[in-house]
Amino acid sequence: MKSIKYYAFPSSVKEAMSLLLDRKYKAMALAGGTLVAKTLPDSVETYLDLKNVPIKGIKLAGGNLVIGAGATFDEIDRSKLCRSWAGGVISSAAAKCSSQLVRNMATIGGNIARPHSFNIFPVLLLGLDAKVRFACKTGTKLVDFQDLYSSGAGLRPGLDCLITEVIIPAKTRKWGCEFIKLAKTESSWESYIKLFFAVEKKGKFFAQARIAVGALSPRPFRAPAAEKALAAGETPEACAAALAAELAAARAGDYRCAAAANLLKRFVKSV
Amino acid sequence: MDAKKLKVVNKPVRKMDAMGLACGEPAFTDDMDFNGLLTGKILWSPHAHARIKKIDVSAALKVPGVKAVLTYKDLPRVPHTTAGQGYPEPSPYDTYTLDNKVRFVGDRVAAVAAETPEAAQEALSKIKVDYEILPAVFDTFEAMKDGAPVIHDEPDSKNIPDASRNIAAKFDFEVKNGEWFKEADFVFEHKWSIPYLQHCAIEPHTTIAYFDNFGRLVLRTSTQVPFHVRRIVAQALKLPVKNIRVVKPRIGGGFGSKQEVLLEDITAALALKTGRPVKIEYTRRETFVSSRTRHPSVVRMKAGVKKDGTITDAEMEITLNTGAYGSHALTVMMCSGSHTIPMYRIKNNIRFIGRSVYTNMPVSGAYRGYGATQGFFAWECLMDMMAEKIGMDPVEFRRMNYIKLGEGSPVFKAMGEGREGVEQVITSSGLFEAIEKGMAEIGWKEKSAKYAKPQTGPVRRGIGVACMMQGSGIPEVDMASATMKMNEDGSFNLLVGAADLGTGSDTILAQIAAEVLGIKADDIIVTSSDTDITPFDVGAYASSTTFISGGAVKKTAEKVRDMIFEVGAKILDVKKEDLRLEGGKVVSAAGASCSLGEVANTSLYYYNQHQITASASHFAHTSPPPFQANFAEVEVDTETGKVKILDYVSCVDCGTAINPQLARGQNDGAVLNGISHTLSEEMEFSSNGTPLNASFRRYKIFSAADTPPVRTFIIPTWEPNGPFGAKSVSEIGINGPLPAVANAVHNATGIWLFEAPFTPEKVLKAIKDGVRKA
Amino acid sequence: MKTNSIIEAKKGFFEIALKVNGERRELSVRNGEFLLDALRRHGWKGVKKGCDTGDCGSCTVILNGKPVLGCLVPAVAAHGGELTTIEGLGSVRSPHPLQEAFVEAGAVQCGFCIPGMILSSKHLLDNNPSPTEAEIRKALDGNLCRCTGYVQQVEAVKNAAKKMKRTSN
Repeated sequence: MKSIKYYAFPSSVKEAMSLLLDRKYKAMALAGGTLVAKTLPDSVETYLDLKNVPIKGIKLAGGNLVIGAGATFDEIDRSKLCRSWAGGVISSAAAKCSSQLVRNMATIGGNIARPHSFNIFPVLLLGLDAKVRFACKTGTKLVDFQDLYSSGAGLRPGLDCLITEVIIPAKTRKWGCEFIKLAKTESSWESYIKLFFAVEKKGKFFAQARIAVGALSPRPFRAPAAEKALAAGETPEACAAALAAELAAARAGDYRCAAAANLLKRFVKSV
Repeated sequence: MDAKKLKVVNKPVRKMDAMGLACGEPAFTDDMDFNGLLTGKILWSPHAHARIKKIDVSAALKVPGVKAVLTYKDLPRVPHTTAGQGYPEPSPYDTYTLDNKVRFVGDRVAAVAAETPEAAQEALSKIKVDYEILPAVFDTFEAMKDGAPVIHDEPDSKNIPDASRNIAAKFDFEVKNGEWFKEADFVFEHKWSIPYLQHCAIEPHTTIAYFDNFGRLVLRTSTQVPFHVRRIVAQALKLPVKNIRVVKPRIGGGFGSKQEVLLEDITAALALKTGRPVKIEYTRRETFVSSRTRHPSVVRMKAGVKKDGTITDAEMEITLNTGAYGSHALTVMMCSGSHTIPMYRIKNNIRFIGRSVYTNMPVSGAYRGYGATQGFFAWECLMDMMAEKIGMDPVEFRRMNYIKLGEGSPVFKAMGEGREGVEQVITSSGLFEAIEKGMAEIGWKEKSAKYAKPQTGPVRRGIGVACMMQGSGIPEVDMASATMKMNEDGSFNLLVGAADLGTGSDTILAQIAAEVLGIKADDIIVTSSDTDITPFDVGAYASSTTFISGGAVKKTAEKVRDMIFEVGAKILDVKKEDLRLEGGKVVSAAGASCSLGEVANTSLYYYNQHQITASASHFAHTSPPPFQANFAEVEVDTETGKVKILDYVSCVDCGTAINPQLARGQNDGAVLNGISHTLSEEMEFSSNGTPLNASFRRYKIFSAADTPPVRTFIIPTWEPNGPFGAKSVSEIGINGPLPAVANAVHNATGIWLFEAPFTPEKVLKAIKDGVRKA
Repeated sequence: MKTNSIIEAKKGFFEIALKVNGERRELSVRNGEFLLDALRRHGWKGVKKGCDTGDCGSCTVILNGKPVLGCLVPAVAAHGGELTTIEGLGSVRSPHPLQEAFVEAGAVQCGFCIPGMILSSKHLLDNNPSPTEAEIRKALDGNLCRCTGYVQQVEAVKNAAKKMKRTSN
């Protein structure tokens, strides 16, 4: 670890923000630490430990599922609320993070703060139309997860702002979802591809369809053509072909294209 | 004799070091503090092949806290091998403690010792090296071509058969009885390959060098071969053997990677330079890149079979990548044939062609299985191909052909380890029973019938078998010795050179001694292994400890028993011949007895005052193979290529299991290591030879959650040449999963897999290619 | 423990106060040091270094009630915390039932991964006295072992669970 001057244990978001914004400290926030503890930027002189900041809760608010940024993978895995949401896909995705020891430490906030191809949650949050709440210099900010990952929304989480909550919209509660981490072994950190499929059923039709793809690049992306095919009720084969074409365009390679298309086909048949 | 009469042997005696380890007692190399300990670090080559034109250490020496910087200019130039093998080592002498040439990304350039790790690291960054970059070669077949870069062009290396073609070792052998493949109805020929695989002992390589109060150099080191370390360090640094003591504390796993002098020479050199204790501890990355690996291999195998199931001819050509140095280059290559070809009777012709080839890649070495892993992947898959062609059940085909009790093989005599072998016949085999048990446990008959029917849906199931053998020590090469002495309370010290590296050998050796002496295993205090204290043993490798070191312990205990009878006869006033040892007592035929404590006290203080103590050595003229039958049931997702093992049954004949619980643990671990090879492990490199996944994060070994059901069954037999009927158990299990799983995947899908590991990507491609062909 | 909300390194060291294995301790830790290295330097050698990258679990300690990777936790982060290392569980003279169970089952081969694995198991059994095999495997999936194939270790945890339930009833 890089040598540091100060170590801070703020106990509120307000205190954390004031330390973060105080130039004297050159601070960076540390949640679980599993990603950043070993790779602290040279400019940082203060570690801001968020463990006492009350941003860990998982709750229902206004029909939405609100996951505190400090909730660990393990807490999300075990949360009854998460297990009941969208067929339990959020919990089962959390359980697919590399190991119990990492799941005990790593948080959802840390997992989305910086884009990495091995992160678990971004692909899921993209597919679930999630929003992210920040504490920043000017107060709080609510950002679509999609915008956060496409434009960055001008925010540098952990350096000039804090992620405080992840909000999963109420509409997704009954969605039929599947999260797949296709990897050499169950506990592999890296994977060939991460896939998130979701549909909202309305009678015989799909009112909504989401397909998000991760692991190919640090930022996950959606597959609009395949989503359209899915929402239009096209055959499983047609949906799969659309996804394969989109993945080929993203230079995913033969294997990922074929496997992902097959998995989508299977998902469509299952719903 | 059979195992039923045994009282201590063949019982699940508690592993004697286990509780201390489970409580986190300071037992490993790095768990002891030394006053004034310096940190040693090594500068590694960033180039695959280069000559050091200039090296300037002046800035490094100025870093505060730096006590020494060593380059090739500071050390004697002594060609040697790092392979911890019996003297004279059959590996080429092609290594120098430090050299003016680097031969792979991760080769040694220089070494520093400093007061803190940070200072050592800073010093490394300040060593200025001017390299002349040389053309590099990464592929064995390219390396053997005319005009390929010559990796060992130095004139003073020794025992390299053809340095100009980068051949580190070669061996050819043929038995010819008539025209090749003349009698065969069907002939098969394929190539199987295995990539760079690392041992992944969880304790990284660590050495601490310090001086005792006589000024002698002490090496506390994580090694499987303390006595070879002493000899090779003495050789490389031109020191007298008498000035070196090697202490092996508890070892955090080795699997062959610690049968190697990796750190001891350079750590010793730094200690000698500074006069201070020095520690070098590999990082995990260094363990991947700059320790040792399994030899990547291409095995081309061609065999012929008659419709009646007779195997007519077999030819095995193995090309091993030994990397930049030839550690174990000859012997691993020879064992890939000598441990595998004799498995089945071959009627007419046998040929073995072996090459170990230098490349500018990490160095290969000993790894559990020692060539047999590479050889059996080919041989056992080929067996299934032949069985399928002639329409015979693969188990029946093996039963018809495997080597039986009393049978030999011309290979045993022709191929030893680095030299001619020893003629031998099979003196114990439980393979028939192992196959029976395995078939019953996996449900062979029902499942093979079920999976023979057309399956629907994307997920297909299949079942596969593989049989294996290994050796028990190297005949007429390996030697072990033991010393025992008796204490006043009737307990004994057992001093062995054998190196327990987590295998439980201390415990099983105590059990052997206790069985002879009619006492409990915990009445024996075991010390292993310290070159100042314990007698010589070649060390823990070649599946030798139970068989060879166990033999030495048994002989030693028998000598001690005789001395006890001598004193007991005096105490009880009976003839020696009428005595036996039982329950910690000397008992006469008439039923009179005295305790061992009384015997000890009598010997020490009253009768012909003497210490009851003895030493004995053991070597063997044979290397009785353990046998195994392994069965795998798999599920293949034909749409993602993912292979899932549903059940894995491993039945092992290791003679008498001295400690069945520990033997089972050895086999479970070997099998899982093999499964992890089969489905996951592979070191990856960039096009210039830089390792890309040198971490546990990216080189994935199986975790508890990844692990399928692994079920070991011990099939008891009695090996007349082994201590209490024992043979080896530690290595054999690693050879099964590659072929057993490949055969099961074929059973499920009809495809053959030739390249390990069987990643989803490769499996899906093979399925697609198969469909295309059909 | 109550702590100040910000502490400063003096001459390259943080002075931290914490409970280790039930005892209050004050430790000097380097300002760039991880918990693994600090604990080993202060004599808790049961915490092992297998990879130093958070991937093998040999450095597992229980910090504030959760098993964590000592190589990824800055040493200073333990300030004000409660820490259990393997030394706090039991001793050769008086072992914890899990230590007993691991030894009895033959689950200790080289033993390097065992302290971490026992601590992960302890946390599991403290929170789930009758785990299924799948739950045991999931709880141990961060503690890599190359010797055993995990078979006897899973057996050990099952046996310990039975024994601990019996004694607590």
